[in-house]
Amino acid sequence: MPDQEPYEPERAVAGTGMGGTMDLGASEAVTLEQPPGPDGADPREKPRSLWSDAWHDLRRNPVFIISALVILFLIVISLWPSLIASGSPLKCDLAKAQEGSQPGHPFGFNGQGCDVYTRTVYGARTSVAVGILATLGVAVLGSVLGGLAGFFGGAGDAVLSRITDIFFAIPVVLGGLVLLSVITSNTVWPVIGFIVLLGWPQISRIARGSVITAKQNDYVQAARALGASNSRLLLRHIAPNAVAPVIVVATIALGTYISLEATLSFLGVGLKPPSVSWGIDISSAAPYVRNAPHALLWPSGALAITVLAFIMLGDAVRDALDPKLR
Amino acid sequence: MAETTEPILEVRGLVKHYPLTSGILFKKQVGAVKAVDGVDFELARGETLGIVGESGCGKSTVAKMLVNLERPTAGEIRYKGEDITRLSGKALKSVRRNIQMVFQDPYTSLNPRMTVGDIIGEAYDIHPEVAPKGDRRKRVRDLLDVVGLNPEYINRYPHQFSGGQRQRIGIARGLALRPEIIVADEPVSALDVSVQAQVINLMGRLQDEFDLSYIFIAHDLSIVRHISDRVGVMYLGRIVETGRDAEIYDHPTHPYTQALLSAVPVPDPEAREHRERIILSGDVPSPTNIPSGCRFRTRCWKARERCALEVPALAVPAEFRGVSGPAAHDSACHFAEEKRVVPPEETGTAGPPGPPGGRGPGGSHREDAEDA
Amino acid sequence: MLLEVRDLHVEFHTRDGVAKAVNGVSYGVDAGETLAVLGESGSGKSVTAQTVMGILDIPPGRVTAGEILFEGRDLLKLKEEERRKVRGAEMAMIFQDALSSLNPVLTVGAQLAEMFTVHRGMSRKDAHAKAVELMDRVRIPAAGERVKQYPHQFSGGMRQRIMIAMAMALEPKLIIADEPTTALDVTVQAQVMDLLAELQRELHMGLILITHDLGVVADVADKIAVMYAGRIVETAPVHDIYKAPAHPYTRGLLESIPRLDQKGQELYAIKGLPPNLTRIPPGCAFHPRCPMARDVCRTDVPPLYDVTESDAGRGSACHFWRECLHG
Repeated sequence: MPDQEPYEPERAVAGTGMGGTMDLGASEAVTLEQPPGPDGADPREKPRSLWSDAWHDLRRNPVFIISALVILFLIVISLWPSLIASGSPLKCDLAKAQEGSQPGHPFGFNGQGCDVYTRTVYGARTSVAVGILATLGVAVLGSVLGGLAGFFGGAGDAVLSRITDIFFAIPVVLGGLVLLSVITSNTVWPVIGFIVLLGWPQISRIARGSVITAKQNDYVQAARALGASNSRLLLRHIAPNAVAPVIVVATIALGTYISLEATLSFLGVGLKPPSVSWGIDISSAAPYVRNAPHALLWPSGALAITVLAFIMLGDAVRDALDPKLR
Repeated sequence: MAETTEPILEVRGLVKHYPLTSGILFKKQVGAVKAVDGVDFELARGETLGIVGESGCGKSTVAKMLVNLERPTAGEIRYKGEDITRLSGKALKSVRRNIQMVFQDPYTSLNPRMTVGDIIGEAYDIHPEVAPKGDRRKRVRDLLDVVGLNPEYINRYPHQFSGGQRQRIGIARGLALRPEIIVADEPVSALDVSVQAQVINLMGRLQDEFDLSYIFIAHDLSIVRHISDRVGVMYLGRIVETGRDAEIYDHPTHPYTQALLSAVPVPDPEAREHRERIILSGDVPSPTNIPSGCRFRTRCWKARERCALEVPALAVPAEFRGVSGPAAHDSACHFAEEKRVVPPEETGTAGPPGPPGGRGPGGSHREDAEDA
Repeated sequence: MLLEVRDLHVEFHTRDGVAKAVNGVSYGVDAGETLAVLGESGSGKSVTAQTVMGILDIPPGRVTAGEILFEGRDLLKLKEEERRKVRGAEMAMIFQDALSSLNPVLTVGAQLAEMFTVHRGMSRKDAHAKAVELMDRVRIPAAGERVKQYPHQFSGGMRQRIMIAMAMALEPKLIIADEPTTALDVTVQAQVMDLLAELQRELHMGLILITHDLGVVADVADKIAVMYAGRIVETAPVHDIYKAPAHPYTRGLLESIPRLDQKGQELYAIKGLPPNLTRIPPGCAFHPRCPMARDVCRTDVPPLYDVTESDAGRGSACHFWRECLHG
């Protein structure tokens, strides 16, 4: 490769039209100097990508703002529940069982005489942890498996597709009852593991499809023609263009995982007392619902709001990322 | 452009068949899409070979095989004497440096998540030996300048550019590794008319400046004539006629070439009255089921029994053998005869009007562009 | 005049501002006449046609001014219901992409027959017979059998014939063809264009042919309107415009086409790019790219000057049309 010579061509070569074309470049520059914004700001300051466009949309979407605030609040109180609840969720006084609202105990007491307010606040931690960790696990496992299958195709892809079909055939609640009932550990991990196990095929399908779509783009072919390795094609060219649908589905799934944890705990195979979880509280309050409806109402309401917030967030993200809706 | 030296690229018996299978678990081949079915050509250094043909004739598949995006089913692609279809790993990578591609669609061929600098500079990430790290940004800026874009645009994203500008970025990417051969697959067909000419001129200028050899693939015969030294006409996976541009355009001997040329709409309502138009009947047959003998016979007005039995070879037809003259060029037809379909250049009325501003035709075009 | 568009203005509201797609377009077409509307992408040629057809998406589109007179009635003042009756029965449209314009889950026969059952109230049997007759008329071989096939079973050229058959079905007075042959191969283009021209003559329809291809226009049009940035910059009978264009944009377009019969060194190229419709340059929209531009071009919008010199009416929106025409 000769040093700088090729890039300092003889501009004066007769008859090549060099001067004309260069001027032409400059005039294009003039046209573009009028930026795609009405204010006349220098466009170089704000290169717009899909993500910045999406963020531009999201910031103006009230659904996004409300759901994001709710989620932020939930994350804060699950990290530091003592910020808004001073007592302990495990301090119960049977004498106060089923009592209603009273000073210092705005939500009243449940069947065991525990403070419903404190337990509802502390229950957020389980839900948020299960939701976020399970979603991360599902997204990583599903997109890696689905992405590789979509990219390489062939026998591996065929086998994976059949496996995902099998997993889709497993009824979630029945699977949970069978698998989780043999596990004795009383932490969130078995529940998270179970959700990841049953959840990854959904993401894997989405990731596979969107990798196959992205793979066919000419820019992937162009990089391949330059001699790019498979890992470069996947990481630089395909993944950034295929990740949006995965993010959208994962965000919406997060809400459903939270309610799945509550369901499993309600059925007695998820978390068990003395753990604190909305599912457990809903389960324990159910028999006394006539006498103490508040003990059922507060954890159920918190659960519903949380699930709704995540699903709404997913919806808003989808609207922002899906260019077809623009 | 000289054609005397040994070819830089030589293609022999190139075939690409896509198998058609049936069955889910046990796949059984039931046929094949014969996209490319025996193509030969060569390319000299500094030359432009135009390949024209209608959609589905296999011209894009040829392009993909040349840059190793598809593996041929059979045949050889010799780059400086070395068959590149058998290469892999390091050797393939180094050949790829020398044969680059410009894609048709400037909207899908640039990664929307990467800046222009990253798109063009990626070549140097993949082939770090070409440019030292500190030098790469400068090289990218120089390349932008060379293709007529403002080097300040290095941090912009592709969607901030128009189609013509994007195609310039695609060309800059193709040039980054200083290749010897550029395969351009319909590089201007997605662009507006007024922008097409800019890009064609750019490609012509770059060819001189960087001593490039082009394979220029297009369906537009006028553009191919404008840029090519030699032309090959493809039909259903084969080249049916090939020769220098004047031989093909002014003295075509294959009926398909004649029909193709006569069908091109000419922007001149008076010329159309003097022109004979050959309108072919029917559609191109499916490449899964290619007619026996001559593959063009199903649409050919000259077809006789022999055409169904014997495959015509791509060679100078017997009628013209020994005769020197523009009609004596390779044409795969049993009944080749010369037929002039494009009226000769002359005519004062048919020619385009002179450039604006009252200057004479020809060399003044460039000055107009400079008037900016 | 069968159709007359008068001073039409259409805007689109986009994130980047108001895009002025059509800025005062006027044209007319008579029965039996072919008007070619020529322009590049973004010139407003398709938006004008969609507005005439009444298929413009509103919003984001908005007609801000103008009249569309069809046989003397202003279509823009009609109720949607009356408009719908005009569409299909009195004017029809042919699109570039025949595959996406046909319903993939219905046979072509069913789609053709539907035109007759819905608009003409024919029985299914009669409508089916009509469908076969139509397919025969657009020269689809073995029409009787192929009428039962689905759109994807036809080649591109055959699908475009089916689109033409659908447009012709109710013998409308006006056909608008939006780039009808752009997606087709050259050898098929000629077949389809000839068919369209022949049917037009037979039925004595008005035809508006929207295209970017000066070659296609030369073969079939009677008169041409050249559009740039939402305005008509030149209008002329087809012969005149090729012989001596009266607008620098038309002239540049004509010259930038590579020619079959010539192998030139360098093509003439119009410099620069078409303008962004949210920020159309003041004065003459073409002035940043025009080799003849002077100060007045940057400030004053040129009207469509009457440049009639020979027999038929011609117009050019260039302050210096005389220089251009004779220069």
